[in-house]
Amino acid sequence: MEKSGSVDSLGSKRSSSRQPSVDSLSSTSTSRSDRSAQAKPPSAMSSDSVSTSAEFSPELRVKPKTQASKVLRDSDKEEPQLLPNETVQDMAQDVTYFCPFTGPLRGTVTVTNYRLFFKCMEREPAFVLDLPLGVVSRVEKIGSASSRGDVSYGLVCKDMRNLRFAHKQMEDTLRKSIFEVLIKYAFPVSNGLQIFAFEYGQVFPENGWKVYEAASEYKRQGIPNESWRLTKINDHYEMCDTYPSTLAVPVNIPDEEVKRVAAFRAKGRIPVLSWIHPESQATVTRCSQPMVGVNGKRSKEDEKYLQAIMDANAQSHKLFIFDARPSVNAAANKMKGGGYESEDAYQNAELVFLDIHNIHVMRESLRKLKDVVYPNIEDSHWLSNLESTHWLEHIKLILAGALRIADKVESGKTSVVVHCSDGWDRTAQLTSLAMLMLDSYYRTIRGFEVLLEKEWLSFGHRFQLRIGHGDKNHTDADRSPVFIQFIDCVWQLTRQFPAAFEFNEYFLVTILDHLYSCLFGTFLCNSEQQRLKEEIPKRSVSLWSYINSQLEEFTNPLYVNYSNHVLFPVVSLRHLELWVGYYIRWNPRMRPQEPVHQRYKELLAKRAELQKRVDELQREMTNRSASSSSERAGSPTRSITPVQTFV
Amino acid sequence: MFSGKPMKPTFKSYLPPIQTNVKETIEPPIKKLEPKLLPGEIVVNEVNFVRKCISTESGQDDLWGKLICTNFKVSFIPQDAPPKQMSQLSHLLLGEHDIPLTCLEQVVTVNDTRGKKKVLGSNQKLKFNPTELILYCKDLRIIRFCFDEAGPESAKKVCLAIAHYSHPADLHLLFGFEYQGRRYHESKEGRANGSTTRRGLQTPIFDRPSDWDREIKRTGASEWRVCSVNENYAISQSLPEYCIVPVSLADQDLKRHSVYFTDNRIPLWCWNHPNGSALVRMASIYDPAQQKKIEQKVFTAITKSHPHRSDVFRYELDKNLPNIQEIQSAFVKVRQICVIDPFEESEERWLSSIENSRWLEHVRAVLKQSAEIVYCLDGKNASVILQEEEDRDLNCVVSSLVQLMLDPHYRSLIGFQSLVQKEWVMAGHRFLDRCSHLKKNYKEESPLFMLFLDCVWQMMNQYPAAFEFTEAYLIVLSDSMWIPLFSTFLFNSPKQRAQHLMDFAKNKAIPHGEDQIVYFPPVWDWSQQFSNKNQTLFNNPMYVGKGATCVQNGEVKTFRRTKQKTYSSTLRGTPASLRNGLKGGEDTQPRRGSLVSELRPDFSPVKDESPSERFFRDWFSQPVDQQGLLIPLLMPSHVVLWRLFFLRWVPEACIPKGGIATAYHKLSQLVDEIEILQNQLRQYKGPSPDTTPLPSPSGPPLEQRRMYFKASSPNDPPTPPDFLNSSFPFTPVGNLCRRTIYGTPISKFLNGARIWLSTETLANDTV
Repeated sequence: MEKSGSVDSLGSKRSSSRQPSVDSLSSTSTSRSDRSAQAKPPSAMSSDSVSTSAEFSPELRVKPKTQASKVLRDSDKEEPQLLPNETVQDMAQDVTYFCPFTGPLRGTVTVTNYRLFFKCMEREPAFVLDLPLGVVSRVEKIGSASSRGDVSYGLVCKDMRNLRFAHKQMEDTLRKSIFEVLIKYAFPVSNGLQIFAFEYGQVFPENGWKVYEAASEYKRQGIPNESWRLTKINDHYEMCDTYPSTLAVPVNIPDEEVKRVAAFRAKGRIPVLSWIHPESQATVTRCSQPMVGVNGKRSKEDEKYLQAIMDANAQSHKLFIFDARPSVNAAANKMKGGGYESEDAYQNAELVFLDIHNIHVMRESLRKLKDVVYPNIEDSHWLSNLESTHWLEHIKLILAGALRIADKVESGKTSVVVHCSDGWDRTAQLTSLAMLMLDSYYRTIRGFEVLLEKEWLSFGHRFQLRIGHGDKNHTDADRSPVFIQFIDCVWQLTRQFPAAFEFNEYFLVTILDHLYSCLFGTFLCNSEQQRLKEEIPKRSVSLWSYINSQLEEFTNPLYVNYSNHVLFPVVSLRHLELWVGYYIRWNPRMRPQEPVHQRYKELLAKRAELQKRVDELQREMTNRSASSSSERAGSPTRSITPVQTFV
Repeated sequence: MFSGKPMKPTFKSYLPPIQTNVKETIEPPIKKLEPKLLPGEIVVNEVNFVRKCISTESGQDDLWGKLICTNFKVSFIPQDAPPKQMSQLSHLLLGEHDIPLTCLEQVVTVNDTRGKKKVLGSNQKLKFNPTELILYCKDLRIIRFCFDEAGPESAKKVCLAIAHYSHPADLHLLFGFEYQGRRYHESKEGRANGSTTRRGLQTPIFDRPSDWDREIKRTGASEWRVCSVNENYAISQSLPEYCIVPVSLADQDLKRHSVYFTDNRIPLWCWNHPNGSALVRMASIYDPAQQKKIEQKVFTAITKSHPHRSDVFRYELDKNLPNIQEIQSAFVKVRQICVIDPFEESEERWLSSIENSRWLEHVRAVLKQSAEIVYCLDGKNASVILQEEEDRDLNCVVSSLVQLMLDPHYRSLIGFQSLVQKEWVMAGHRFLDRCSHLKKNYKEESPLFMLFLDCVWQMMNQYPAAFEFTEAYLIVLSDSMWIPLFSTFLFNSPKQRAQHLMDFAKNKAIPHGEDQIVYFPPVWDWSQQFSNKNQTLFNNPMYVGKGATCVQNGEVKTFRRTKQKTYSSTLRGTPASLRNGLKGGEDTQPRRGSLVSELRPDFSPVKDESPSERFFRDWFSQPVDQQGLLIPLLMPSHVVLWRLFFLRWVPEACIPKGGIATAYHKLSQLVDEIEILQNQLRQYKGPSPDTTPLPSPSGPPLEQRRMYFKASSPNDPPTPPDFLNSSFPFTPVGNLCRRTIYGTPISKFLNGARIWLSTETLANDTV
């Protein structure tokens, strides 16, 4: 009898036979290439590099229609097709990649200023590993010269995988290992080099930098109105260097007082409007913690300011302050001069702690999760292992907090103030998730882009610090998967409301992939001010340019645009699940597909086809009955379309 | 005497279609609360001024009314009928507040003031007046009634009656016998000269040789024959009268061998693979001295029936899989976690609790075993014998799963029903004992059929376009186990069924020779339970199968298997585009990577790979053919809790205006549009334009439309309808009321926003 366990070795469904290698993708993406081709300059050739560079990316390659033969040739090559301004830095042969799923593979490694490319030709089809250097968190040299003279390198990646390579000890000791070259380009910031996003000059039909414009988003919400105004007080980031230049504040608080409020809030991050309910005028406002300190300092201006926020909403005589932290942590912050609003000082305000843990706890949780899912899932104790990472529990707490905020605003018609310590991590998670539940606009592709640009990028979530783009200092205590958690929460919402979002899972995965890739400028820097200083929009491409140029790839076909639909998800572990399509996607046994969506697309095509035929027939019938009613002979149906029988 | 004609309408009103009853509920409620009784149903006890609890948090939604115990059900008739919930699945024979007595798992009485609680069995005494009655149901509902305003004596009597009648001592006391007798005679008047047709029942019952013969022909099992050696149950009590055996085994041999098998169960043929391999099930041989010899003979005969005379592989399921007690205990635990434990309490260690129940582990083990057998039949071209002590439990689960994976016919609705009929009902699964329809026997009770349905759901979850039916169908089927009106789930064996039905026919003066299917129908006659409209909830809009139509080169045609043997893995090389008939197959391509290129799953050979691993890897490296072989993915993360089944009654777990139902809604509407278009095309191409006037394009008649949700119209509401929630088509309202737990620590409320949310929203509503 066969031993058990064999079914487990089931590979993933994805057809490699039809996609023998990355290169052959071109044959299937003709239409896309054609479309984007007009907008793109001819591919940049780097003459000094070893390879004949051709513009490469599965999606965006410029490929003349008649290049079928070239494609065939390409698939035999050992180096990647390159992006504009991507240049090969080094190549090495006879490198072993220890694939955790299929065992060691021998092949060629190419390192460019953007990626690591490994190709093993011994396999049929060829095995390809194509990794943007941006995802590399650290490179470790594992054990020096062994008896066989191999040098081994481990790559720890930010996207839930670890890769191990080995090659023979260099005979010429002066020559650097290809992995030393890799280190240089993987951590450009630490090595005085430029991040690749500044070199990648791809032009797209859409300009993603124009997706978000603060004033027009406020205008969409009806701001300014009789209670809220836009202020220029932070126009040059002088009041708060981590806030955007455009801020919405209560009408009856003059700028002078706003400045005094800023003095009482950590890092000057005053309460500002994030979202206003179109009917009840209840608002979601965000800020940092008040600088209460051990002595319980108070600020009249701050108290008046919160009162003004409450007064701006005639429906309720209460204000809810949601402090994202556990109360213990909030209290501990008093030692550092921070703290939370006392209900004595702030009349009619109710303070609620949401018990969400800090960035260090989250980082540790994700690390544990990686241990559980990569490379292999243990055959037994899967659920209890997953439980021990607490990842889903954290997801639950964040969603629970956002749900309470959304419910307070929607059902309670009450305005809310949200903060944590600095107001750029947990606060961003909470306000953006609550807004996603409350406002169906943010559930469209463009609306979601606006939401990220607004609540995350412009309000100073410190992407550079949390992700550590191009920085070799992987132990930095500021690293944390706050944004990944947020995207995970969004994915959980899409699972509970499969028809409520215009975008699909692939959209979310793409955002996370380019959070690390350093191909686009979108997630660079820590604040709007920095981005302006670095001239990011001028010097780099926006991720939204890429996404908005091929929206159908990211569209959820099941989407129904219900305009007044507020989402109240069930925040229970009964419905929360691990996002296997992201965290376990490297495992070939996972099946990366969306069968329901796929079937829906097939049905849509069928409907279109049928509609066409019915229309044709209708026209024919009308014509025939009009032309001659006497000529009834013959079978009209036979003349309608040539019937092609399919066997 | 006048004929019975004037009487007809009253009789008819109890029978499907019960349109008249629906009207009655809409009419202003009559002050006198009368139960709706089925023919033959009588009221045993009743009590007035009872409060039915609706939600755990507050009593304000509670309903007041009358609680009745009949010989069939527990019925609650509310004083003021609340507005009927839209689109919820309504049953033709049971009201919204009715519970069949056979559905009761446990009857619990409580006296709050005296702090007493008692689980009531039949013929028991109750020393206190109950203030509360809690009914734990086998379909996982928990229903609570309070007697604060009711007469204490009558309340007590009703409780005792419910407890007593819910566990009858004898099979013939089950209400189905009374009901079907009455129904037979009453409906006979409506029928033309008492015809013995099976009323258009398409599902083969496998009670006559022709059904088996058709299976032989369908699967091309030319070396197998229908054998009637067990006619009149001459050799085995638990085998069907007709079964299929190798042609090389003569009836005489079979008779001789049969004595060595448990309960004389000779090996039963289940299915033939197009490559000639057979799936056979068999009980064990208890005489060790004879074991080798008999087995040898059986094996040789099976080998002879194989075109390539290949070996026979035996799988001993007793050894490889959990036993029935383990399965029962896992189910009890998972049910405890999902519905009985307070929501917030089980939330705390949800994942590990689910794991500790071991239910998913068993589901996975059974699927895994089945997949290995699939490899043997399909990959090794070898015949398989499933062996189990009695051949009546795990063999049923595994043989039906193997066939479900290998043969797309069984993934159609009729095919699936015939599979259950063949591998469960006729093969002698002890439904009576395993379901515990009579007095409790804890040793025998085990949810094997539920385990099977859960496995089917796991397959469905992974291959949503491969099944003609929906998960709602599977759940409705499981619920039907607890309604004792159909012959399918009432008996332990075909013989027991035959005998009881014969006695029944005699007692009820049903003419000799009348077909059992007519006088005591199986569950497969769904019109007994549901309206045509509600039966459309069984249809999966995503199904790619024989019934589904597809477009090919502009030509609309009904999908048809192009070759008889499509489900052989050897034909898996056909491009996906040809399979579902969609031109281009654009969407079946793997996702073109994002700019960050993905690690492409690698299907190249793995070192030290076993042949079966290779077989599975090969299969998974190909695009899925929905009408071909299906193998489930079985990493621990692939096998998940069947939420709709386990959580459908849990109000806290119900996602308002969300859940998979919202996708089902959209898909159904699209398919309905497609069917309207197809109908228009048919009309245009109509028989002949000479005879028919120009067709007026319109949709098919409403009763013929297959989809529950019809094509959308511009007047659709701007928000998703309320009934679209994660419990659809079921409703948690009033179906799961745990006792309120006082003194819950505040921290628990902070953890779970749901509890907080509901009280909050409530408070706002009252302002």
